[in-house]
Amino acid sequence: MEVKVKILRFNPEADKRPHYQTFCVDAEPTDRVLDLLEKIKGYQDGSLAFRRSCAHGICGSDAMRINGMNRLACKTLVKDLGRGTIVVEPLLGLPLIKDLIVDMDPFFEHYESVMPYLVNDEPPPLKERLQSPEERARFDDTTKCILCAACTTACPSFWSNGRYVGPAAIVNAHRFIFDSRDRAAAERLRILSNQFGVYRCHTIFNCTLACPREIQITKAIGEVKKAIATGSLE
Amino acid sequence: MRNRTVPQPSMSFEYIMWMFTRISGLALLFLGAVSLVIALAMGARQLLDMPTLARWTFFPNPNHVVNSKIPDVTQGWANAYWQIMQIVIAFFGISHGFNGLRVIIEDYIGNTIWQPMLRGLLFLVWLFFLIMAVFVILAS
Ligand code: SF4
Ligand code: FES
Repeated sequence: MEVKVKILRFNPEADKRPHYQTFCVDAEPTDRVLDLLEKIKGYQDGSLAFRRSCAHGICGSDAMRINGMNRLACKTLVKDLGRGTIVVEPLLGLPLIKDLIVDMDPFFEHYESVMPYLVNDEPPPLKERLQSPEERARFDDTTKCILCAACTTACPSFWSNGRYVGPAAIVNAHRFIFDSRDRAAAERLRILSNQFGVYRCHTIFNCTLACPREIQITKAIGEVKKAIATGSLE
Repeated sequence: MRNRTVPQPSMSFEYIMWMFTRISGLALLFLGAVSLVIALAMGARQLLDMPTLARWTFFPNPNHVVNSKIPDVTQGWANAYWQIMQIVIAFFGISHGFNGLRVIIEDYIGNTIWQPMLRGLLFLVWLFFLIMAVFVILAS
């Protein structure tokens, strides 16, 4: 079957502003949007720019707006998008570099600001820092993040104020705050209780809808708010 | 599972205001209910019509009931207790609303000099409203 793919194009060297360009591609219903982009780039217009790496939904490179929703191009099947034209646009809220590529630096700066790594200065035990299955389960959901930025760039609070750390950073803080081996929860909670931390979240739930890993993001943010209020990491 | 706790982060302004939003919202409902119940106990069902009672609930000012069937508002309807009630309700209501405006400013205005300026302006307007409210309540 033939599908129309309407892509928001932008070439910083030639264009003043982004514009749409429509391509007709021969596709199977089981093709992914990433396959369509590859076909366009390979056979119709080699200048089309987009990021991809794994093509299997685990590297987080190819988040983009597909029919208005943030999704991974490599996890979105043509048959799930209905019959009409497929509209593909870059993520919102981050500076546009070219075509579907946005500047991820602000996103990763927010990510780094919450100390997304294990902090524990106690001398390590002989073998390993033990953790029970229940303790591991406590933060299992937020370990699944692939840093695709679909959530943060779906968040109206982040669109209107880029200094908000954003849902992805909070998800990754949550992953360590509730890890029984970690010792820096208090420091992370302090960072997240500032003016651009968790209180910019107004429980809009766009992040939860956007996440390709189905992480319960708004719930995780709520748990961080609760930990700030009670000091309990249960 | 071991109990894990952290020392509570030293109270940030954001945290305090986040708590205040919730507490003041509940307090407004509670104070409104108190005014309503006391008014009913004082015979509001016979003495007031519905809009007047509603107005009294959230702003228990004797001026609001003076034209009703109450024979003498100074008997129970106008006293220091109700003035304090009004001041507390006005404080929570005004502060709750202005805090909402502050959140909107911080949501939409990022890195610029406008943010501290608008926050400062908002603070002054909030203060003005509070002083005016107390003045009007005590003078009426
Ligand atoms: S939480 Fe989900 S949407 Fe957000 S960056 Fe991680 S994987 Fe992507
Ligand atoms: S290409 Fe790796 S997640 Fe889509």
